[in-house]
Amino acid sequence: MSSESSYLTEQYMDRLDDLTAAMESGDSQAINALVSELTTLRETSLYQELGMLTREIHDTIRSFADDDRLASLAQDEIPDAKERLQLIVTKTDEAAHRTMAGAEETVSMIDAFSARAQAMRERWRRFRKRELSKQEFVVLYQDLDHFLEVIDDESQAIHGKMTEIMLAQDYQDITGQMIKQVVSMVQEIEERLVRLVTISGGAVDGGQTSEAPRGETAEGPQLPSASRDKVAQSQGDVDDLLASLGF
Amino acid sequence: MDKDMKILIVDDFSTMRRIIKNLLRDLGFNNTAEADDGQTALPMLKSGNFDFLVTDWNMPGMDGLTLLKTVRSDENLCDMPVLMVTAEAKRDQIVVAAEAGVNGYVVKPFTAATLKEKIEKIFQRLEA
Repeated sequence: MSSESSYLTEQYMDRLDDLTAAMESGDSQAINALVSELTTLRETSLYQELGMLTREIHDTIRSFADDDRLASLAQDEIPDAKERLQLIVTKTDEAAHRTMAGAEETVSMIDAFSARAQAMRERWRRFRKRELSKQEFVVLYQDLDHFLEVIDDESQAIHGKMTEIMLAQDYQDITGQMIKQVVSMVQEIEERLVRLVTISGGAVDGGQTSEAPRGETAEGPQLPSASRDKVAQSQGDVDDLLASLGF
Repeated sequence: MDKDMKILIVDDFSTMRRIIKNLLRDLGFNNTAEADDGQTALPMLKSGNFDFLVTDWNMPGMDGLTLLKTVRSDENLCDMPVLMVTAEAKRDQIVVAAEAGVNGYVVKPFTAATLKEKIEKIFQRLEA
């Protein structure tokens, strides 16, 4: 660009020298011709600048178009990330409700047998003070027997609820992996945006990431919208696939 | 199935390790140890006399598939039953895990019943 502008400067200087000479000699025809040459010269340099600018824009747009990764980020991964974030909201919501439901049910079970225990304790106290009639003792005896049975059953039910609460915490693993996927995508976009800035400054470097063989890389949880042909949707699908392989 | 067998649980998420550990305890297996990736698990497996390996796939450091392959190629560990408990649900991946010699494959999220069923199936087959 600098050699072009010095060439232009030279051209201007030549014309200006000639113009000074023509003005001194009063050659109005030559003055007119030189002024119009200067105008043409100015227009030519303007077109050249415009041409260069157009080429730069064209090159930048082409480098965008050649970057498949960028296209796949925009077309697939950003919508994917939105879906993942939405799924994280759903999963955490479900887990919180599962946990809360389990805790609420456990509390009401404990409250129920605590109330029964209190009533029983009162009668037991009266029995120990020999205040209970024979008839009342027979009822207490039967109630006590039934109560022990209930405690056994309810303890197992509470154990089940607690296991349910514990299992509900698996959301942390699933959402954690999904958050990591989104974070790595955001990082990649950030890097690519930085590269775009560099491209517009003139430097382009096209880096392609190498890919591991099919199926070898861990990808984390798949979205519910993933293709059925490629992704097992349930444990049943996994079992069927393994069975077809002789498992 | 020996309830005293020594089980190594490998997962990078501590919540998941706890869940699996508690479910195994409910099934009567109390002899468990934990590792957070393949790299930590391998020296434990080599020196720890483990009978059963339950591993995740997607982990930083050494992932579960590499751990499985390493176990299968180690002359002292090659017969160890391995159950993969993972969120990886692509058919290609399940095939790869099967080819690498996994004994069972459970996709997350899973239920206590599924885990029980797969473990029982693995040991039924080994004992048959």
